[in-house]
Amino acid sequence: MEDEIVTIVEEAGVVHKSPIVIEGLPDVGLVGTIAASYIVEKMDYAKIGYVESDLFSPIMVVHDGKLHNPFRLYGNEQVVVVLSETVILPDAVYPMTRALTDWFKVIGAELVISVTGLPAKNRIDIEKPEVFGVADNDAAVKKLKDKEIELLEEGFIAGTYAIMLRECKKRSLNAISLLGQCFPVYPDPGAAASAIKALDKFVPLGIDVSDLIEKEEEIKVKARDLMRQTTLSSQQMQKSAEQDMPIMYR
Amino acid sequence: MRTERRIIKEGYDGNLEPLFEMEDKGDAIKITVDLPRVKKEDVEINATRDTVEITAKMNEAIAWERWGTIQKRMTFQTFQKQIRLPEPIDPDGASASFKNGILMILMPKVRRKVLINIE
Repeated sequence: MEDEIVTIVEEAGVVHKSPIVIEGLPDVGLVGTIAASYIVEKMDYAKIGYVESDLFSPIMVVHDGKLHNPFRLYGNEQVVVVLSETVILPDAVYPMTRALTDWFKVIGAELVISVTGLPAKNRIDIEKPEVFGVADNDAAVKKLKDKEIELLEEGFIAGTYAIMLRECKKRSLNAISLLGQCFPVYPDPGAAASAIKALDKFVPLGIDVSDLIEKEEEIKVKARDLMRQTTLSSQQMQKSAEQDMPIMYR
Repeated sequence: MRTERRIIKEGYDGNLEPLFEMEDKGDAIKITVDLPRVKKEDVEINATRDTVEITAKMNEAIAWERWGTIQKRMTFQTFQKQIRLPEPIDPDGASASFKNGILMILMPKVRRKVLINIE
């Protein structure tokens, strides 16, 4: 699939059967990235493709001496995980979300779930971060309510997941975002653990998050550079608007 | 390219740069620093009117392995960061706390705001 200069490359030739898409891209607290990485590792999902664009940072990743694209797709017939180990620059957000949602439509995605963070100023005092939900249509709102996920009732949402929801809505794809309360500018594996537990209500993966909690401090150290770059990019995406209230509510 | 150079530099001096956040609280400047793997007793803070320097030793070294052609193995055990402050502060009036790996430093500004009455 190609949208302007973003290309989705499918490598494994998977025949998708109305998959659920889990999207974990770098954002506040790196909640989505940490969660998606953990899910891929624990479920041992195969790499099924990657996303490339001249709008992405000129970075490739080396794992075990082998070159990989930092923006990859994992999964099987029923589940697709979208994972990026590099920051999504603001100029790339619109074409990237258009290309991805076009592809989600082609593979017949049943539900698109963006896993991300919700900045909480008092995060240090929160032992178990709560997870809130946003949906792109009535059916998706019902899914959130059915699974007892508290809705974000009013406010601005900003960044990649906001545009992902918008593009899904334009294509009549059911989409939700799960937002775990997190540190705004520090990697937050605890928030990722909460998000994975909430995600399990929609995709019964049965993942034990104890390893994630156990390795929390190691993850925080190793994710510093991506967090730093993500914070810089987020500032350009008006992430601070998420702390504001809209002038008109209706 | 910038990131790569910094990684090599960190490898030489053995220090990691922690993530931090600075907030203007009106009469004071608040800084929080993310210091995973650090105990309260291993944190040292030195402040002047214009800068604050944080050094923190991790309770266990952390190693990056298999960094391709850059470096096979690098080990770090200390966070270090010197932060230049946007306004002068009173170091003697500063206070700090440490909870769940997050260091919080509150430093009163030298020039406090003065309420001007309207006649």
